[in-house]
Amino acid sequence: MIRVTRSSRRKEELQRAKLEINSNENSTDKNTNLNGESEIPNNHQKSSKPPRSRRPAKSKSSSDIQLLSPVTPPKQRKSNGSENHNAEVSVTPSSLFKRLSLKSPLKKSAVSARASLFNSKQKVENTEQNQEITKGSGSIPEEAKIYSQYQNARKALHSNFPTELPGRENEIKELRNFILGHLENGSSGSIYVSGPPGTGKTASLNSIVQHSDISSKVQQIYINCTAIKSATAVYSRLIRELNIKSHGKSEKDNLLIVEKYLQKKHKMLLIVLDEIDQLETKNHSILYTIFEWPSKPNSRLILVGIANALDLTDRTLPRLQARCELKPNLLHFAPYTKEQIVKIFTSRLESAGVLNVFTPIALQMLAGKVASISGDVRRALDIGRRVIEFIDQNDNVDVLKSVENFTNELTENQAPKTEQDAKPKTVNLKEVVSVLNNVYGTTQNLNDDTEETFPLQQKIVICSLLLMLKKAKNKDITIGKLHEVYSRICRKQNLMAVDQAEFSGLCSLIETRGIIRVTGRKEPRMHKVSLEWNDTEVAEALKDKQLMSVILQDETCLGKI
Amino acid sequence: EALKRSEEDYVPRRVLRSRSNSSASVNSLDLNESDKQFVPRTPRSRRNTMSTPKKLTSTPKTPKSTLKQLRDGTITPSMQSRSTMIPKDSTPLMKARTQLHVSYVPNSLPCREKEYQDIYCFLKGKLEDGYGGCMYISGVPGTGKTATVTSVIDRLKTERKLPKFDYVNVNGMRLTEPRQAYVEIWKQLTDKTIPWEQAQNLLEQRFTKKKHHTPVVMLIDELDILCTKRQDVVYNLLDWPTKSNDQLIVITIANTMDLPERLLMSRVTSRLGLTRLTFQAYTHKQLMEIVTKRLTGTESFNPDAVQLVARKVASVSGDARRALDICRRAAEIAENENQHQQVSIAHINQALNAMITQPQVMAIRRCSRLQKLLLQAVVAEIERTGVEETTFSDVFRMLVSCCALDGLKMVSSVVAQRALSQLSACRLIITDQKCRDVYQKIILNVSVHDVYFALKKEQQ
Repeated sequence: MIRVTRSSRRKEELQRAKLEINSNENSTDKNTNLNGESEIPNNHQKSSKPPRSRRPAKSKSSSDIQLLSPVTPPKQRKSNGSENHNAEVSVTPSSLFKRLSLKSPLKKSAVSARASLFNSKQKVENTEQNQEITKGSGSIPEEAKIYSQYQNARKALHSNFPTELPGRENEIKELRNFILGHLENGSSGSIYVSGPPGTGKTASLNSIVQHSDISSKVQQIYINCTAIKSATAVYSRLIRELNIKSHGKSEKDNLLIVEKYLQKKHKMLLIVLDEIDQLETKNHSILYTIFEWPSKPNSRLILVGIANALDLTDRTLPRLQARCELKPNLLHFAPYTKEQIVKIFTSRLESAGVLNVFTPIALQMLAGKVASISGDVRRALDIGRRVIEFIDQNDNVDVLKSVENFTNELTENQAPKTEQDAKPKTVNLKEVVSVLNNVYGTTQNLNDDTEETFPLQQKIVICSLLLMLKKAKNKDITIGKLHEVYSRICRKQNLMAVDQAEFSGLCSLIETRGIIRVTGRKEPRMHKVSLEWNDTEVAEALKDKQLMSVILQDETCLGKI
Repeated sequence: EALKRSEEDYVPRRVLRSRSNSSASVNSLDLNESDKQFVPRTPRSRRNTMSTPKKLTSTPKTPKSTLKQLRDGTITPSMQSRSTMIPKDSTPLMKARTQLHVSYVPNSLPCREKEYQDIYCFLKGKLEDGYGGCMYISGVPGTGKTATVTSVIDRLKTERKLPKFDYVNVNGMRLTEPRQAYVEIWKQLTDKTIPWEQAQNLLEQRFTKKKHHTPVVMLIDELDILCTKRQDVVYNLLDWPTKSNDQLIVITIANTMDLPERLLMSRVTSRLGLTRLTFQAYTHKQLMEIVTKRLTGTESFNPDAVQLVARKVASVSGDARRALDICRRAAEIAENENQHQQVSIAHINQALNAMITQPQVMAIRRCSRLQKLLLQAVVAEIERTGVEETTFSDVFRMLVSCCALDGLKMVSSVVAQRALSQLSACRLIITDQKCRDVYQKIILNVSVHDVYFALKKEQQ
């Protein structure tokens, strides 16, 4: 529903935009300028402040005094105190220098040095831990084997950037050919990559770009458009990534700087704009300017835009269609099919050497379910990990003991367990199905509890809502009306009814379960209530057929409504 | 002379001008000498006074430096401490009261073993594996979500086998703006306060570049507050775990069960993953266990009284905070009565009545006669038309007939309107604030039954 309305709104906007194109063209520049000016002075000040500020002189003088004459106690104490507090923070020339070099290459080396120090430390720690683990496993081989197998499987199913992408060969090839072709020609081009979330758009681009034959020839810039402050700030971000020294005062200046850079002689540029739909503004001026860059002479730029919408360029940028050289190439990443998901799982598990954790039929089930619903590989991996965690958890239920008991348990429970778990458990159909049901059911969490957890008053509220929806003439239900019916029902059932203020709180509590939705802004009594689930789902969730039937049969409670 | 005076008034400006012009007339110079006291007020002279050495009198800590130290984290804010000692709890009831306080965190959380284990396994697995991840925890307020997560993290910190990790705790409600989350996270990681843009850049570098820091466990409470239209903050927070080579484990908490599907964009939902956990409302048995565990060591509560509280609260919301509040209130009531040292069912009932009351009926009973008549007229109009919304003109007509029936002298419509606005100020009725004439719309804010009940009882 929401999507439909959104798209229709966009259409409207589009039409409006079409109408206003001519009139707006002048005003767009002004707008960007105005927006930019509010942001950029800050940057400018920041960049220029440290060297110009008065502090260095002051601190210098104080330090000089200290050096020359350690005479007056108060002064000395003051300077000492400030240095004792924090050596880095006290304003000495050296500290200022440190602060200055935050973004300069000098600092980088310092950081890397520190990082390497840190690294080595952590490595040592890691190795120590590994040794510990291996030592521990030496005494209990079976347990450790199972344990490590689960752990390896879990590790293999991570959802970070993968090194290889099975199931995306065609798309990767196409992208590679596109980029390589433009690289060889030295010509510029643009491509728009679309696809639903979790289909490997960013990951495949990442893998292509990291390949040496591309990365050596081209200067790459990756910008995630959600990470920038606003749509207009993309130019200043580009300048920062391009390492251009001069900072413009406004975004308009920044745009000019970027365009000037593109005109000059430079290395081939590959700009990747991830989540490009965040750059949408009212008149799409930013997207238009960016997509026009490749067609400029001498630009030598390959532009890759990534987003979810299939038709972003057609919908928001219809003017690009007019000229062929402006039109971006399109590449769609279709949702993963069942076979592809199975392939991804097998390749990942195989590389970790733990393919036997999953039975083939369990894998098929998992892949089929995910592919039929979303085709999102992140979900598939997530479910895979969940399943392993689920089994792992069932194996060591004793986790929940207080800390002092825990250590004792660890030493004790070796003997009995090894016999039971001599063979590592494999993921079977049953576990996968239970996790899938857990994940994809609406009444997920209400089903698996044997004990009823729905508070009684909330049950009555839902039942009275059902009664009104079924029997009343007027389906327009407000909280006030619902409260009246509810209090009548309560009186009939000899229960104490809550008052109106409490009642709206009750409704919002039910709303958090997703069963109803309360809309409206002003008066709580006038808020509208609508049921989001259907009757059978509600009946399943309530688990109280008796109460429901009693309430639903009694039409007299409705009163005049 | 008058002209001369007016000229004198202008002197300072003239002086300035004459100074800037190298050629100064004798007249103006004379004036300058006579009005020397005006000179320091000009901006230039003020600057001069500032530059004079005043170091002897200046204090070592100017407010600006204090602020800077605060931002750098070298000084931490402290609270003023009490001048007297807090007396220790002397009576068992007082002890019970302190133990029943919501902020008193018990050693173990009863009735949340399953959830505890779930979160523990998740976090431990992630820390052992060395990968980041997300988890979404939902549940109605007062079901122990945050308490469980923090106790899991406290336990993980003490375990020696696991790698050391940093713990960051962000609450969406404590931020003035969603983007301030970056500042807060950076502050908890490094103790420094910086603007959010800078913080975002630094965090991005820390979490996406290939450098090995300590793993970070991040708890984000009240996730729904961080959702803006762009949803960039939520996106970034959930995107870092997938990108980083450093470990970042994000645990998000919100009330709504289907928040990811309802409010978040599809790409954010995809990153949030399917590792979800729902905290159910407490049942009355669980609430009883919670309260009795809190009361260990004190014999001040009647078990039946505890059960009454548990049942009452479990039937409405299942909120543990509420149950504890009611118990505390009952303890206070018992304490005031002095002779009782045990809280009985009567006290609990009193506390329940105080907390779950219906003030509307009392409010209607205390109304003036005109206001009561007005309410009656509104009710009668609603009954007559069957529509909830009425206008003032209709109500006034009904009021006239009501008065005629009771044999009372009728007031003017202006007086009636005043009474109506008083009623709407105490929210017994809702009126349209925009138009205050005879076509003003009126809606009854209490149920018709309450009005009848209140007015009938009084007549008897």
